[in-house]
Formats: sequence, structure tokens, C-alpha cells
Amino acid sequence: MTVLDDHANASASRAQSSTGAIELRGISKFYGDTAAVNDLSLDIAAGEFISLLGPSGCGKTTTLRMIAGFEHPDAGDIFISGQSVLGQPPYRRNVNTVFQAYALFPHMSIAENVAYGLQQKRTPKAEIRERVAEALDMVQMRRFADRKPTQLSGGQQQRIALARALVNRPAVLLLDEPLGALDRQLREEMQLELKLLQSRLGITFVFVTHDQGEALSMSDRIAIMRDGHIEQLADADTIYAAPATAYVAGFVGQQNFLTGTIVGDEPGATLLRSAHGLIRAAKIASGTPRLRVGAAAQAAVRPEFVQISARTGGAHAASTGADVGGADGSNRVAGTLIGVSHLGETMQYLVQLGGGNGTDTQSLLVRRPTPEAPRLAIGDDVWCSWSPDSVILFAADELPDSAHVEPPTLSPVLATPAPATPAPATPLEDHS
Amino acid sequence: MASPSAPRRLPAPLLAFPAWAWLLFFFVAPVGMVLWFSFGYKPGIFGTHANDVLSFDRYIEALSPTFFATFVNTLWVGLAGTALCLVIGGPVAYWMAVKAPMNRRGLLLALVMVPFWTNFLVRTIGWQVILAPEGWLSTLLQAVGLQEGPLELLYTRTAVLIGVVYNYLPLMILPLFVAFDRVGGSLREASKDLGANRIRTFTQVTVPLAQPGIVAGVLLVFIPLMGDYITATVLGGAKGNMIGQLVASQFQTAQNWALGSAMAVLLILVIALTVAAGALLLWLLTWPARSRRRLVLGDAS
Repeated sequence: MTVLDDHANASASRAQSSTGAIELRGISKFYGDTAAVNDLSLDIAAGEFISLLGPSGCGKTTTLRMIAGFEHPDAGDIFISGQSVLGQPPYRRNVNTVFQAYALFPHMSIAENVAYGLQQKRTPKAEIRERVAEALDMVQMRRFADRKPTQLSGGQQQRIALARALVNRPAVLLLDEPLGALDRQLREEMQLELKLLQSRLGITFVFVTHDQGEALSMSDRIAIMRDGHIEQLADADTIYAAPATAYVAGFVGQQNFLTGTIVGDEPGATLLRSAHGLIRAAKIASGTPRLRVGAAAQAAVRPEFVQISARTGGAHAASTGADVGGADGSNRVAGTLIGVSHLGETMQYLVQLGGGNGTDTQSLLVRRPTPEAPRLAIGDDVWCSWSPDSVILFAADELPDSAHVEPPTLSPVLATPAPATPAPATPLEDHS
Repeated sequence: MASPSAPRRLPAPLLAFPAWAWLLFFFVAPVGMVLWFSFGYKPGIFGTHANDVLSFDRYIEALSPTFFATFVNTLWVGLAGTALCLVIGGPVAYWMAVKAPMNRRGLLLALVMVPFWTNFLVRTIGWQVILAPEGWLSTLLQAVGLQEGPLELLYTRTAVLIGVVYNYLPLMILPLFVAFDRVGGSLREASKDLGANRIRTFTQVTVPLAQPGIVAGVLLVFIPLMGDYITATVLGGAKGNMIGQLVASQFQTAQNWALGSAMAVLLILVIALTVAAGALLLWLLTWPARSRRRLVLGDAS
């Protein structure tokens, strides 16, 4: 399903004429019988920073390659700056690409690499010198001008690839996972630089990535792709806070999913009966049709919205203030702490829920800011609770592994020994 | 071992020892002997060589008009054959490395190698059958009316050219395939993305990057082709179209090792000089393009 938000609708009319606007109109691309891109429509405003986000094989790179001209759609039409580019070879399009592996010409110096595009347009040599120097200054690589690409590090090559594309002053810059090969620190630095550069130059950026952090931090809008179509198109806030589908919810950020059946529909809240307790949700996802009582559904709550407290005696710890569950016992589940990991600014807890008899065992991820994180030991009995506002209900949907990986649980064999012996802490990685 | 912490190792250059030894005994030494014999003379009817009097007389003898004509002939066949191999093999190698479906490339490479499964001499004699005036090619050409009378191709320079192109083509295709294959699709895409059309992408990215392979292919074909005498004997007749035949006849028939050696040394010199001249010519021809592309910014900022 393609969800066009207001921003896109507003910019649609502008996209017809302005330089740098892109319109993808129902494009499809098939490889044999499989559709890499399936009837995809997308309007990108001039000067916009848009990310195509999705797991590998979702069609994001194919979409980018069709805009660049390396692939041609089997159906549909592509407009760049208001002109159809159907059948136009890449060298005629006012579009430049930053390739995943940079693709710098090894037989040319850095300066010659950057000058390549200008030479193709038969730019006078004096102007080439000037613009190449300018482009290299822009990415702070001027002093490497006369070296060969193989003498540079990955991050430096990345900057050169960027300069080589931008020196041509394209209407649109396409970036195919350009930061994928860089280490984390460099990647974060480049994210900031890219965003600054984009707002300074006003060029349309189409950024392909599988890294949700990259997409969230840089983009004006994000198109979440799944199986060749756009699942949701919105800005980062909306994608994060109001995912249209369970797929988007699972793909962006961490998510706890609890499946169950709808048991009640009150004003302002929907009730879901799960194996681990009653869940009261204030919101139903925009991509989910009305949920009737008796329908299968899943509730999603992000780890950072879950409160955790020690479970002592039989009563729940409503008085401690660390419990935001409802008075009727909804949005509160009992579990056993099976893992704690320090993520820096947050602490992450892995809580195993229910399933005393081994059935319906599920783990819940909880994240608390480190300063206010409760001191809990592995093996402790805990309460986890959350407010109805932080729960979103989705229609039941099979989620591919690429979108969401269930947090691990202890196997019954491991769980049987007395809880007094601390279970081995499961190393938890940020698998997003 | 005396000390386990510092295991004694043989020096790494020893890895190349078998190759060095082999080349020294079976290449450097024989070439040295040939060079030595070339300064000698044939002592009498039954002697093959003598070196008690050293002179350049054999070289003067070798540069006689007959030998010189053969020289020109050899050079012509060598250059034309290499050029034809490049013109025929280049597109095939490019297609195999760039355009052909990925899963078929192994099969295509194997097909290029198929002629090598048959003996060199047998394959060349096969061409003798094809090109003969009463052969099927002649009959066919006459039948379709492209040729009047029997085909008079066998035992000519053209027949030799056809034979050497056939025999040496795989040696051109294989290095070219590797060279084009190594350029990689993303660099060609980057070139097109930056505004270069197919032809400019080919001349400015593909060929410069494939250059080592192209040079290897040209040398791999040109050098053995210049010394070839089997193809020339089978298809060119006993007239002695190529130097290789003259050298062989001096050693085998005339038993004049001194003159044969001088001819062999001259052949080596001609090959070396031709390669050097070719390299210089290429360098000069590409100079304008290189200077146009050259861009040195220097350190000033």
C-alpha cells in the first residue's frame, strides 16, 4: 500500500515543473517472474532529502538504478524535473550517483576523477580546474588531489565519490548505501556532513539504505519499502511514532509485539487479550482497517515505553511509581529477568514472560535511561508495564525476519534450574 | 630446532629457485650458446660450427637480400596476424566478459580452449585440406559463384596469415577476457553516470584499465608468431616465407649452426625492436588524449 502524506500531495503539482523533482508513476521491474519493483509511485519534491529504506531485496536499489538509468522499468514512467526520462541512457540524465563501492577510476588521480564528468561536457580546462578545486575543498580533500584512489582510506574515497558527483551540479543526487562500508564513527560524521551539504546545495537527494538510523537522522521523508512497493512514506517522526503497518513498526526501531484477540472496543481504547495479559491500546495503526471484537491482532510497544520494577510478594508494585499499567491489570505483565545489557545511554533488559509450562514463552525488551534504570539482577521476578498511549494495534501480519527479529527466550531446558542460579546473560545486540 | 621461539626459516626467494634454475639452464644458457655460435663459422662440409675465429661475417651473410625479403615477409605476417587476432578476438573477449550471461562464461571460455585439445600440427594440416584448390572451400566458392576456377590460396602468404590467426587467436582472447572482466561493471556505470557515452566509456575507462591484458595478449601472440615455422611450412610451402623456416633449415638441412644462430639472434633483435617501436608509437599516439585528461592541482588551497 502506498501512503501518500500531505507533504507529497502538496508537492505533487510543484513536481511537474521544478528542476530536481522526481515523479515515479506506477513503475514495475521484473527479473524473470519475480517483481523487484511492483507498481511503485512516488513523488519527490525538488530539494528534498528522501530515503528509500528497507531490507535487502526490497527493491530500493532497483528503484534507484531506474532513476539513474541503469535499469529500465517494464511498466510505468519516470519524470525528472518534469521530463519523462523513459528510454534515456544514464549519460543524458541530469542525475549523478554515489556508488556503494565508490567506483573511483583507479587509473586516474583524484583530481582527474572529479574532473571526469566536466570533461565529458567539454568544459573549458580553466573552469574544470576551478570547479574541481572547489569541489575538493567542499569535501576537505584538496590536499589529496594528485593522489591515486587506492592511496586513500574508505572514508576519503567516499568523499571523493561525493565530490565527483556534485561537481557536475546535478539536479538530483542518488546515493546507493554510500556509508555502508564505513565504520560507525565515520558513518555518523558523514551523516551530519551529508545533511548539511544537502541543505546548503538544495539538490534533491535520494538516499538508499538498509540502516534505519541513517534514514531517520538525515531524511525529510522516508519511504519504507517492502517487496517492491512502498509500505509507508512519511517523515521520521511519523514513521517512528505512528507506523502504518506492523512491518514498518518492526523495521524502524525496536518493537515488542504481543499477539492476541480483540475482546473489547471502548471509547478511546481497544482491548486485546494476549497470552500474557490484557492490553489496552489507545491507537490503531493508520494502515489497519477497523478491528472488530474477535479479530486476531497484534499490539506493539517500544522498549523505551515499558517500565520495569521488581515483583516482590504477590501484589503488584503500583505504589512505587514505576507502574503505569491500568487499574484493571491491563498493560501489566509478569516476567523473569533473563538478561541485562548496558547500551550506554540506556539499559536494556530482556524479560521472559509467562509460559510456566513452556508454552507461549516470549521475551520482552525493556529500555530505561541509564540514570533512572532500576537495579535488577538476572533471575529477578519483575513487572513490566506501559500506558495505553504507547501501544499501537495492528492487524495480524506475518513479519519477515528482515523486518523484525523476536528477542531470544531461554529454552525450557535452560529455564528449568532454580531461578536462584543466575542464568547466563544473553548478549543482546541492537539487531535493527 | 634449537629454539622454538625463533624457528629457522629458509629465505623466501628460494620459492623461485626451481624457476630460476630452469630458466638459467634451459633458456639463458642456450641463448648464450646461440649468441656464441653466431660469431663463429661453419668449418667444413661435416662440421656444424666452429668458434676459433670470431667475426660478424654470419650477420652480414644473414642480411643478404633473400634473407631480408623473408624478414619483411615475417614482419608483415607477424604484424598483420597480431592485428587480426586483436580485431577478431577483442570484440569476442569483450562480449564474453561484459555482455554474455554470467553462468555461461565458463562454457564460453572452455569453447575458446577447444582447438588446443587437438595437436597444433594436425589442426594446421586441417587447414591445408580446407584451403586446397580441390578442397571443399574451393568447391563451395565455385558453386555459389564467388570464385572462378579452383581456389589458389594454399602455399601463399594469405594462407599462412589465415593459419596463424586461427592458431593464435585463443592466446589473444584469454588475456583480453581477463582484462575486460577485471574492469568491472560499476566503473563503466560510473562513467556513464558522469556523462560519458558508450564509446567514450570504452576508450576512457575500459581500454585504459584493460591495457595490461591487451599488452599481454598482443605480446603472447606476436612473439611466438614471429618465430613460428610449422604454420608457415604447412600452409606457406617450402619456399621459406618466414624466418623460423630459414633458421630451421640452417640447423637441420644446411648444418650451418653459425649462420642459423646469427639468424636467430637477428630474429630476437627484430622482435625486441618491433615491440619497442610499437610501444613508442602507442605512447605518442595517446599523448594528446592523455594531456587533455591530465589535471594536476598542486598543493595550493
